[in-house]
Amino acid sequence: MAAIATPRIGVFATRAHRQEFIAMLVLRAASTFVVVAISALFLYLAIEGTKLFTVDHVSPFQFLFSPVFNPDANKPGSLVFIVGSLSVTLFAVLVGGPFGIAVGVFLAELAPPRMVAAMKPAIEVLVGIPSVVYGWIGLTLLVPLIRTVTGSNGFGLLAAGTVLSVMILPTVITLSEDAMRTVPNSLREGSLAMGATRWQTISRVLLPAAASGLTVAVILGIARAIGETLAVQLVIGNAAVLPQGLLGATAALPTEIVIDMAGAQQGSLLEHALFSMAFLLLLIAMALILAVRFALRKRA
Amino acid sequence: MHKTAVAAALFLVGTSFVPRIASADTSITAAGSTALLPLVKAAADQYQSQHPDVKIAVSGGGSGTGINQVVQKAVDIGDSDIMAAGHPELVDHRVAAVGFALIAHPGVRVTNLTKKQIQDIFSEKVQNWKDVGGADVKITVINRPRNSGTRAVFTKTIMGDVSISSAGLTEDATGSVVTTVKSTPGAISYAAFSGTHNQQGIVELKIDGVAPTDENVQSGKYPVWSYEHMYTNGPPNAAISRFLAFVTSNSELLHKAGYILIRDMRVHESDR
Amino acid sequence: MRDAVLTLEIARAKSARGVRHRRFVDRSATTLLWCAALAVLALLTLFVGYILYLGAPAISWQFLTSPPSEVSAGGGIGPEIYNSFYILGLTLLFTVPVAVAAGIYLQEYARPGAFRTLVQFSAESLATVPSIVMGLFGLLVFVYLLRWRFSAIGGALTLTILNLPALMRVTQEALFSVPQTYREASMALGATRWGTIWRIVLPSAVGALTTGVILIAGRIFGETAALIYTAGVSVAAGKGAYDLNPFRPAETLAVHVWYTHAESVVPDVARIGNGSALVLLVMVLLFNVVARIVGRSLTRRFTGR
Repeated sequence: MAAIATPRIGVFATRAHRQEFIAMLVLRAASTFVVVAISALFLYLAIEGTKLFTVDHVSPFQFLFSPVFNPDANKPGSLVFIVGSLSVTLFAVLVGGPFGIAVGVFLAELAPPRMVAAMKPAIEVLVGIPSVVYGWIGLTLLVPLIRTVTGSNGFGLLAAGTVLSVMILPTVITLSEDAMRTVPNSLREGSLAMGATRWQTISRVLLPAAASGLTVAVILGIARAIGETLAVQLVIGNAAVLPQGLLGATAALPTEIVIDMAGAQQGSLLEHALFSMAFLLLLIAMALILAVRFALRKRA
Repeated sequence: MHKTAVAAALFLVGTSFVPRIASADTSITAAGSTALLPLVKAAADQYQSQHPDVKIAVSGGGSGTGINQVVQKAVDIGDSDIMAAGHPELVDHRVAAVGFALIAHPGVRVTNLTKKQIQDIFSEKVQNWKDVGGADVKITVINRPRNSGTRAVFTKTIMGDVSISSAGLTEDATGSVVTTVKSTPGAISYAAFSGTHNQQGIVELKIDGVAPTDENVQSGKYPVWSYEHMYTNGPPNAAISRFLAFVTSNSELLHKAGYILIRDMRVHESDR
Repeated sequence: MRDAVLTLEIARAKSARGVRHRRFVDRSATTLLWCAALAVLALLTLFVGYILYLGAPAISWQFLTSPPSEVSAGGGIGPEIYNSFYILGLTLLFTVPVAVAAGIYLQEYARPGAFRTLVQFSAESLATVPSIVMGLFGLLVFVYLLRWRFSAIGGALTLTILNLPALMRVTQEALFSVPQTYREASMALGATRWGTIWRIVLPSAVGALTTGVILIAGRIFGETAALIYTAGVSVAAGKGAYDLNPFRPAETLAVHVWYTHAESVVPDVARIGNGSALVLLVMVLLFNVVARIVGRSLTRRFTGR
């Protein structure tokens, strides 16, 4: 549409026009592909993920709230995995959230340019480290450490939560730094001119002003944590029981999927239950995106 | 830039019309039981070095995976420790027998357990090794996932009607079970001889005084064993038949990898 | 009068104490923030050092080039390294054109409206889809529906979708960083919108774009969960492992770390895991360094900056 409105000149008019038209077509097609991809994904998982209820006639209530996961006996209660996922995510956000925000604030407000120059690539590398390597470090360093210190077998909520805390750091740091940088400089100057110290300015003026951006940082940190699979699977212990305290082994939605999907017969109750879990994860991810939109709209 | 995009798009569309390039006639894929994996893999390596034109890809995933994927024709051969019930289209090829050992961390100071004691441990009635005559160490039970053939054999031959507590840890496969038992004080689990016999740092427990050896399996004294099956979807083609025959008949390979030739078995599955 | 002076004195004393207190809080907060930032650097140093310490003894030419072993000790990771690059190349081949095109559309063409909102919302949603969920989608489409079995192409296409949003974002940011005046000048000279983008905007953005693509390439290289059920966990033996055919199972290096621990029965799991983790880490570092160098030189060449 915009293309047609642009001015055209002389002999190039038709060729340029044709080019413009094709470019527009290709660009639109690519954009449409993105829409098609997420729609297809949602549709497929919605169909597979609800077979548990439509084909096997399991009640959604039982799926969500029963702690008994025994698909052989028609009992696909997934409460254990849901609680497991929520617990490790909560742990990660409670530890990694404030830590990440602190670093983000530091980068935006305090850090000398040299420090920023050192931190940026470091954070980029932290993003790039494959999740399976995080899991490997967790398995060979953290689990034995927890075992030695606490006398438990080392696998469990604490190990998984700690690994996740580190894994969400780059997301939280980058986004909270961005959030701080979007706060207008006039606020900063005004506060300092009134005689406030730097910390007073940060804590009383800038943090509240950046609140919605920081919320987004935490929400996307949650999104990163709740879907993480292999790093968690290697250290959580994969016991289908509700977590017995921080040291207890448990399981999460993605870890249960990755362990049992390989052997789930197509069309079996187990397979349907696992797809329901995947669909639930997708719904959680979507809900988090809506939450992000909501948080940003409030700011606007 | 748009040329690349168009080319990529064309390629995408094009590929969806030629989806069967994968099934070139001399390529064989097998997946499934990790108890059987070492044998199939070793056999595949040896077979390919003799027949350079044949490509064989072998992977684990568990017995359930094997059956599952061969039913869906995602692989040519599905490896399994258990019978594939409810799939009449599958053709069973028994290639070997294998025993399963109960393994524990050396620190538990136990070398023998009765069947009853094992049931108590895996159902969490007993939670400390001192209650079964060992050291004062908390027991950490390690299980295999639900689809595991090894778990099915263990359940059938030892646990009977006693159900396995879900509080234990779960490890994906024979390999990670052995690794985790080695590194976790108080750990106990079960795994195929092929994955336990050559391992340092674990103890293989006797069951009711009977040691987990090939000899005891062959004579029927040791209860935890099963046939290893390689399933094909319908009768195998010539190339797959030749490979299956190679696996079954290669006694040197079988022994080296910790399996038992079927003709050496003096008991049958139905005898238990 | 005396009262007033006294009040003033007290207030001064109070505020002096207040100033000292405020300064103390300010200093401790600053120290704390510095510590947090240094902790991140320390953490990264710890990881790199630890993986280096674990992995270095495992690395040898033989380890890097020989095929993996399922049974006996001494397996290598040659085919896995090959597959990682193979799938990475295939993924970039698909995802770069689509993502760049969609990014250009959003940044340069689309007017605010329902379609743009839809595309943006789709991209954001796609960005939060957990990679294991994406892997199951790939399983449904490429393995079950199209019956491609586990294949390099199925894995690559799954990763294509998984990485579209990130790459679109990179494109948008790269385009955003091109000064508006460039566009205005070009259009004022009579160039069409596409002409402007193709000759002026894209060349100015190519440095930032390339940096972004290489950084994302590093992430694709280490992706695991989305590949287990799409590209599979096996490689063919012998020369078949280095096949160019995209319709073959292709276990990547990252998947191999997980698979070796979880599934295989080799006695030297630790050695292989350690060595592979080191190779993965080195690759990530390498991608980061290359991204910066290439990005800088491209920017210089196309813009003279």
